[in-house]
Amino acid sequence: MGKRLGLFLLVSLGLALAQPRGGELRVAILAEPPVLDPTASTSQEIPRMLYDNVLQGLVKFNEKGESVPALAERWQGSPSSLTWTFYLRRGVRFHNGAPFTAEDVIFKFNRARDPKSGHTHPEYYQDIQSVEAKDPYTVVFRLRQPNQDFLFNLARPDSVIGPKGRVEEQKTQPIGTGPFRFVAWERGVGVRLERFEGYYEPGLPYLDRVFFRFLPDPNAQLAALRAGDIQVIGLGVSPENALVLRRDPNFKVVTGFTTTEITVGMNNSRPPFNDLRVRRAIQHAVDKKALVEGVMLGFGTPIGSHRSPGERCYEDLSGYYPYDPARARALLQEAGYGPNNPLRFTFTLAAPYPYERRLGEAIAAQLAQMGVQARLEVVEWATWLSRVFRGADYQMTIIGHSEPHDIGIYANPNYYFRYDSPRFRELYTRYLRTPDPQQACEIMKEMQRLLAQDAVNLWVMNAPYIAAMRKEVMGWWQNQPTPSLNVTRVYLSR
Amino acid sequence: MRSFLLRRVLLALATLWLASSLVFVFLLLLPGDPVQAILGLEASPAARQALERALGLDKPPWERYADWLTRTLRLDLGESIRYGKPVGELLGERISLTLALVLLGLGGALFLALPLALLALRFPMWDLALSGLMALLQSVPTFFLGVVLLYALAVHLPLFPASGFPGFSSPWEALRHLFLPALTLALSRAAILFRMARGSLLEVMGQDYIRTARAKGVPETWVLLKHALKPASLPLITVLGLEGGFLLTGAVVVEAVFALPGMGSLALTALEARDYPLLQGLVLVMAALIVLFNLLVDLLYGLLDPRVAYA
Repeated sequence: MGKRLGLFLLVSLGLALAQPRGGELRVAILAEPPVLDPTASTSQEIPRMLYDNVLQGLVKFNEKGESVPALAERWQGSPSSLTWTFYLRRGVRFHNGAPFTAEDVIFKFNRARDPKSGHTHPEYYQDIQSVEAKDPYTVVFRLRQPNQDFLFNLARPDSVIGPKGRVEEQKTQPIGTGPFRFVAWERGVGVRLERFEGYYEPGLPYLDRVFFRFLPDPNAQLAALRAGDIQVIGLGVSPENALVLRRDPNFKVVTGFTTTEITVGMNNSRPPFNDLRVRRAIQHAVDKKALVEGVMLGFGTPIGSHRSPGERCYEDLSGYYPYDPARARALLQEAGYGPNNPLRFTFTLAAPYPYERRLGEAIAAQLAQMGVQARLEVVEWATWLSRVFRGADYQMTIIGHSEPHDIGIYANPNYYFRYDSPRFRELYTRYLRTPDPQQACEIMKEMQRLLAQDAVNLWVMNAPYIAAMRKEVMGWWQNQPTPSLNVTRVYLSR
Repeated sequence: MRSFLLRRVLLALATLWLASSLVFVFLLLLPGDPVQAILGLEASPAARQALERALGLDKPPWERYADWLTRTLRLDLGESIRYGKPVGELLGERISLTLALVLLGLGGALFLALPLALLALRFPMWDLALSGLMALLQSVPTFFLGVVLLYALAVHLPLFPASGFPGFSSPWEALRHLFLPALTLALSRAAILFRMARGSLLEVMGQDYIRTARAKGVPETWVLLKHALKPASLPLITVLGLEGGFLLTGAVVVEAVFALPGMGSLALTALEARDYPLLQGLVLVMAALIVLFNLLVDLLYGLLDPRVAYA
């Protein structure tokens, strides 16, 4: 054992030495967030720059999307899953020099579960009855009822922990325990990070400085990458640009999975989609493989329910409704639609999302071959939010659901799909309250099958993660199981 | 002169009031709300209500309008919904860049248009080529011109930075970053100034005093520069003032292409987030700038043409 450990240490030391330290990395992201604290705003751009780079929680997601130790070294759940004991990592300091202790954890979660505190998503923490410290490095959470997603919620960007008592300042001057410390937020330009010398994992991070630049325009991003202003386009490279950059020996393209399900939402409470036969006909009428090949130039994975292949307990239902125009026609006829009375509806597309818009147009074209007349309507994002999302004032729409592990939205009958299924709600509650992960997984799979069976929506594909960078950039995460662009182990080969 | 100025200032204030009131109405008509944009998809109704109250969006429109008007009269533009900071502060951060861009663009356009117009007049052979080129420039969309320049002068010939702005602390670097965006604006606006200058020069050249000058044996180039340029530049000044306004709006596009943190990109963000106070502040400031441009033109007119009297 001792020998093996020695060997392991030697190998890791060798790896660490082989990875040249230092340098500055400039990364383009699409938008500027309103604040820099993920517990104050749900803007995805905040964790994109800061999660695990600057701010950390007790638990974090690794590259595979698993929940792994961060500020908690280890944890233990009681057999009933009602008591969770977390053993904190010792000797951790915040970027302002203050030691990290149980006090910070208690402050954080008392604030998080208080709906009046302004913390994002208090509902993630509502099953927490109390948070107590046994000693400065042991924290005990007591839950009201078992919650299968408890650990997952603790790994979310919303669960990052700042110094005790610091709330308002975190919005613009975030202080955390991560490998990088926040240096400056140049409004409209970008966010600067710098290596935190006191980081608890020795040898990390490799880079000296990271600069996240706000570049909203994809053409500007591409030009900046080619001109050397930036070294990485962190996400959202279009398939065409990816193919072009892939052929250029100076650049490389990284592709992987995301947790985004590109979903054709159907209003289950309104004609024509309150008819199961119509919803099923739509499933058979759309050729997902052709969409991946034709519209996305081969990027993306077809799915058949509201879960991504990279998430745990995934059930592959992409073949549940095979592409079958004859079957689709028959179903439509059964529902009373035919050549003399074609199926007509409005298909609402959200303007700022290029993948979704293109896919929507292609899907409308595929449906047109079936004699279905989908009238395309493009609306602005704010309009989409208030009309489609909040008011459910639509017939069909298409959007990427990027939240990880968000199948619970189907348990809410007021969600914009207006899917009202007591059976699904019962399954979801059972899933949450089942302490055994294996059993919970079985229920999760049944939930996915039920959604497919009810043909609630048309799940087109798992959106691909496409990033482009100069070839010297090493250690970039291949997959995107969190919104974060994690640069802890990124380095520049010289 | 004084009564003229007073009248102009009152007119300017009325214009500003009208412009921002119109924006207020249009924003009410625009679908979409800022609360959802801030809270994201999964917000609870309680959180929505709390935020609406905090932002004062639960009040009826006329009450919000009255609030806004009284605050604006006290020069308080309110607080941005998205950024949670005073609108004035946000504008202050951005305005210098946009102004620099517009002035450079305007100066550049004039710098390009005037000599070329003189050249076209002096050498009729060049006239067709130059007029054709300018017509082409005028028909090319600004964003396209921007991207072409970006690829030519930043990517293929890396002479200038492709995007971004380092701030004014080092003026040389700031100028380097502003060069391409300003050139884009200048080229797109030079076309119209060129045609204007050429037209009015042609008109002046037909005047009697030009004939007199020529008859006296003044060389043709000197006739152009000494006798024709000044009177011909009067209509140019008018157009220049109008162009200032156009450039301000054109800057929105150029700022997007070159990722410059100016008022244009701020306006785009504000619109997307339905940030009412910020948008209104932006419109107010932009309208004020346009009014200011026009006022300057009127005053310049008097300096250049003694026939204009301020009454």
